[in-house]
Amino acid sequence: MAAVASEVELVNISINGVALQVPKGELIVESVKRLGLEIPIFCYHPRMKPVGMCRMCLVEVGFPGPDGNIRKMPKPQAGCTLPASEGMAIFTDTEQIHRDRKGVLEFLLVNHPLDCPICDRGGECPLQNNTLFYGPSTSRFLELKRHLPKAFPLSKYVTLDLERCIQCGRCVRFTEEISGDSQLAFRFRGASMQPSTFELTDFESKFSGNVIEICPVGALTNREYRFRARPWDLETKPAICTVCSNGCNIWFDHRAGRMVRTNGRTNEAINEEWTCDRGKFGHEFYNDSNRVKHVMVRNGDALVESDWPTAYDAIRMAFAEGGNRVAALTGPSNSNEDLYLLKKLFQTRFNSNNFDSRWTTYLPTAEDDLQKKMGVSMVQNTIADFESMSKVFIFGSSLADELPILFLRVRKGWFNNGNKVVVASDKPTDADSFAAEVLRYRTGTESTLASGLLALAVEKGLAQVPDATRQSLSKYTAEHVSDETGVSVDALHRAVELVAGAGIITSHGIFNTSQPQDTVETLAGLAMTTNGSFNCYALGANDQGALDMGVVPFGGGMDTHSILQGCIDGTVKALWLVGCDPFELHPDYDLVEKALENVHFLVVMADHQNGAVPFASVLLPETAPAEQDGTFTNMERRVQRMPQVLAAKGSAKPAWRVFSELAIRIQPETPPFGPADCMKEIAESIPSYAVADYANLGGEGVLIR
Amino acid sequence: MSVNLFKDVAKPIMAGFGITRRRLQQRTSKYKDVTVQYPEQRREQYPRTRWKHALKRYDSGLEKCIGCSLCAGACPARCIYVEAAENTDGERYSAGERYAVRYEINMIRCIFCGYCQDACPTGAIVLEKDFELANYKRESFIYTKEMLLDPMPK
Ligand code: SF4
Ligand code: SF4
Ligand code: SF4
Ligand code: FES
Repeated sequence: MAAVASEVELVNISINGVALQVPKGELIVESVKRLGLEIPIFCYHPRMKPVGMCRMCLVEVGFPGPDGNIRKMPKPQAGCTLPASEGMAIFTDTEQIHRDRKGVLEFLLVNHPLDCPICDRGGECPLQNNTLFYGPSTSRFLELKRHLPKAFPLSKYVTLDLERCIQCGRCVRFTEEISGDSQLAFRFRGASMQPSTFELTDFESKFSGNVIEICPVGALTNREYRFRARPWDLETKPAICTVCSNGCNIWFDHRAGRMVRTNGRTNEAINEEWTCDRGKFGHEFYNDSNRVKHVMVRNGDALVESDWPTAYDAIRMAFAEGGNRVAALTGPSNSNEDLYLLKKLFQTRFNSNNFDSRWTTYLPTAEDDLQKKMGVSMVQNTIADFESMSKVFIFGSSLADELPILFLRVRKGWFNNGNKVVVASDKPTDADSFAAEVLRYRTGTESTLASGLLALAVEKGLAQVPDATRQSLSKYTAEHVSDETGVSVDALHRAVELVAGAGIITSHGIFNTSQPQDTVETLAGLAMTTNGSFNCYALGANDQGALDMGVVPFGGGMDTHSILQGCIDGTVKALWLVGCDPFELHPDYDLVEKALENVHFLVVMADHQNGAVPFASVLLPETAPAEQDGTFTNMERRVQRMPQVLAAKGSAKPAWRVFSELAIRIQPETPPFGPADCMKEIAESIPSYAVADYANLGGEGVLIR
Repeated sequence: MSVNLFKDVAKPIMAGFGITRRRLQQRTSKYKDVTVQYPEQRREQYPRTRWKHALKRYDSGLEKCIGCSLCAGACPARCIYVEAAENTDGERYSAGERYAVRYEINMIRCIFCGYCQDACPTGAIVLEKDFELANYKRESFIYTKEMLLDPMPK
């Protein structure tokens, strides 16, 4: 498994008489794929260690005898645990193997209820498929089958049907090897063996949804999808998860215009094949009854249904003054096209730079830009980089909550390659369990800890810094830092060795702490001076895209806080909320409430009812991400396209179309006719996005640097 | 070619009416009526005639349909829509965990092939002999579960 060996030793094997060379030790179940063959499997999973529990993958094995003839071993072998070795002859298609497979399936079905018609897995069930292709056509079993609880709720998301379990151990291994929460284990033995949680407590995991997909039968099923549809009822389209900034690839299954479930879609660069629970079960809002479907315009105390032209006229009048009198705030899941056209509308039609996409307590200014100040980028590594990075330093982020898929990659690096992980956080995090060192600091001492680590690195000669910096760091002695932060001196000493040269991960969440800019700069400096790398990742689905599109007031406009303050003072007369609920996003509830109460004209553009709607002067229905075509930039700055999956609800329009329609009403020009046209415009003004042409956006997406 | 008026025209006509006369005379004895007075009279249909579907019940009154959608999968006309839900102990419609909350057949699309009946694992959907399906509006051809389901046994 270790990819370190530069020379991979090859061995000669033959499969069904065809000679081929494969890396020594490769599992036979993988080798046969090279010939386009397949061995039926249940328990084997390419991303987990083989265990040989189900015996479905039996093959006949032989070696050449002294006379040169192949001598077969007397018993068949499990192909998923059999490493290739020199001279091995594999047979996957003999009379014997066909009989063996029939036998294995017959045994698996002895206790299987075969309630396929009501089983959520029916139609996409590996057990059904293997039985159809390799199994006996009738049953000889007349006796009573094993009876166990059906539809046992393992957690909020997962149902366990113990009768259907074939005891392959995939779910148990997933929680041990991949998610690391070790929530599931086998109880009892033999036919009574069953996967379960400790003392039948809730299956509490941030990644439990994956076991539903890897279970080869309908034993673990999705509680939300339960009985919603059968696979042949579904239409399945590729999509991007817009719940967080990882940008996981998903299959979006819908039926009769309704979202029914999402499944992981393989993208080796991002989520491999996994999803997190927040994402997998976070698309229910598409079917919510509180979706905004119609244009509403305020008439006295009530919002009354209206139409787009009326709304456009009202907005034109209210925003006519332009300049510092108008402003816009955006949310986390607008597409790049939406954001770019918003900025263009404000700059060219309203002559204003008052727009912001950020909602943290501290809002970095144009001067804070790391690129300008230190010549380094806020995003230096991809998700996949962390698999092979020998040292990783997670600072101030509960990674499994904020960036779950990055968490899985970091953990995979530790699990497979023994990478050393240091976690610095003020609260316990999931990454603590495999961290080589945990630095538990007092809330508010982030920047002290960062400076302390840098100072210590300098002291130990791990980092080279100019004298001025050395001077300014002199007060951060290990003892002082330890006193302030509560991290022991020993821990600091141990950690600094691992932190020097590490890939540093932190998130925009850091801007909610005290002195975040110091922390960020110190950490970036630490990375720079020790040959490591620094990353401060965005958190909202397209927050990174918003920064790239320039939806920040660096052209002399007001930022989120001053815009809201301006609404209260009366300097900002008209505010446009684009796909955001300020009550949820902004740290100060009262400020938001006052601002929305006082602003003269409020446009709320939303896909579902939110806290700002009651204050709206005009309510515009916006399509949700999967209801429009558009691109999203994930936290590692990978641009991915999500084609439209569902039809727009009611008279909802994509935001980019609204901005462009309004723009041509104010001053005619040729509008972009679709999101692909928008992207062409984006590429012209933001050269790094030139590669993100719609023609290039298939597959794994395009990385922007 | 010349036409013999008697041999080629008049004689065949008379022969033809001859048959009519004979049949009229023997009407009640040898030949029975072919047409019936529909709708007052109806003809017996062949045992395997396939017309409008019925959703069956067990003798206990429970619905046989378990909402598995296999009929919808088998239907070549894609005219069946099934939406399932879970039985609870308080509200039980079918024997297992699952029942059909919505079951709809679009009769204009249906080609009465009977594949749905073949696919059904519980024998819930059966094509029966009710062929009088004409109606005035397209929407009236959507047969819902309520319209298809057999009445509760007495
Ligand atoms: S797990 Fe597969 S074989 Fe078993 S009842 Fe479900 S669909 Fe049928
Ligand atoms: S629940 Fe599914 S994945 Fe887990 S052991 Fe049983 S069959 Fe395997
Ligand atoms: S009879 Fe044939 S066409 Fe009609 S509903 Fe059944 S399967 Fe479909
Ligand atoms: S796949 Fe090889 S034993 Fe299960």
